[in-house]
Amino acid sequence: MTKEFKVEHNLETGEVTEIELTAEEIAELSALRAETEAKIAVETQKATDKAALLAKLGITEDEAKLLLS
Amino acid sequence: MTKARDLANASTALSAVSATELGYLDGVTSAVQTQLDAKQAANANVSTTELGYLDGVTSAIQTQLDAKIPKTLTTTTGDIIYASGANTPARLGIGAASTYLTSDGTVPSWGTISAGGMTLIATTNMSGSSVTVSSIPDTYKHLMVVFKKVYYNSNDYPIQFRFNSDTGSNYYWQGFRAYNATVDPTGSNGTLFEPNIKTRNAADNYLNMFGSFNLYNYTTTTPKGYDSRFYWADSGGTRGHTQADGTYYNTSAISSITVIAAGQSFSGGTMYTYGVS
Repeated sequence: MTKEFKVEHNLETGEVTEIELTAEEIAELSALRAETEAKIAVETQKATDKAALLAKLGITEDEAKLLLS
Repeated sequence: MTKARDLANASTALSAVSATELGYLDGVTSAVQTQLDAKQAANANVSTTELGYLDGVTSAIQTQLDAKIPKTLTTTTGDIIYASGANTPARLGIGAASTYLTSDGTVPSWGTISAGGMTLIATTNMSGSSVTVSSIPDTYKHLMVVFKKVYYNSNDYPIQFRFNSDTGSNYYWQGFRAYNATVDPTGSNGTLFEPNIKTRNAADNYLNMFGSFNLYNYTTTTPKGYDSRFYWADSGGTRGHTQADGTYYNTSAISSITVIAAGQSFSGGTMYTYGVS
């Protein structure tokens, strides 16, 4: 399995370093990933619901916008 | 009676001479022209024209001359005369090429025009779960970070920013996202700045993320402003644009910026960090 790493570019020395993540950082990364996935899921569901509603009403998105304008 | 008779005989010729003017002859003891010529001879170095220059003089000439600024105060081409104090003329030599006249609030001086503009201070390839530019020089006014062709190992993930590795809820932003035929507001307060974008999981010249992020007055010990704009596309190829502006509510000067792949990893792209003077 590929190890997780982060990159640090020190502008004082010009040195670019790949630093392996610590267990704590990996946990934080997992939490961040889960949080983002949850947001993506909400957005995806919203888009799915929207499409379903439009289909139910038998109108296009442009027509829905026209109704609401 | 002889003089009276002579004057009477000359009455026609004397019609232009007034009695007052004739009175000026009172006391004359010899020929006036002879006397005048003699005076002229005594002042041979001063011409009548020069004497005429005294016309209008109202006080001692030397005193007036002493009160003037001597032209010897200027010694070199380009010299400027200014007052170093009340009634105290002083010389300011010409400044070096391309300098400008400025002031310390008391006297003028020449200032050096700073280079200005943008200086590329780092080019960083994007990989790993995050990319941090650290030990950012504090010699600039603002920072600008430009992103070119950024993509992830996974589809549809946003990008995130942190300063000085600060995980406090100090990031505030508002903006909008134009995507999939709609424009939606976006904004929050959180432990990082997260412009609402999506990314793709493969290199693509047309659909990878391009954008820029500006961080203003990053060395000040007051809250700092930032703004950003990104062009991107989702996994299905639908393009989007996100613009977001915000405040980093922390008084520490910023010396590092971390760009986070939202729990995924950067697979490619370049980050250019510029210092703005």
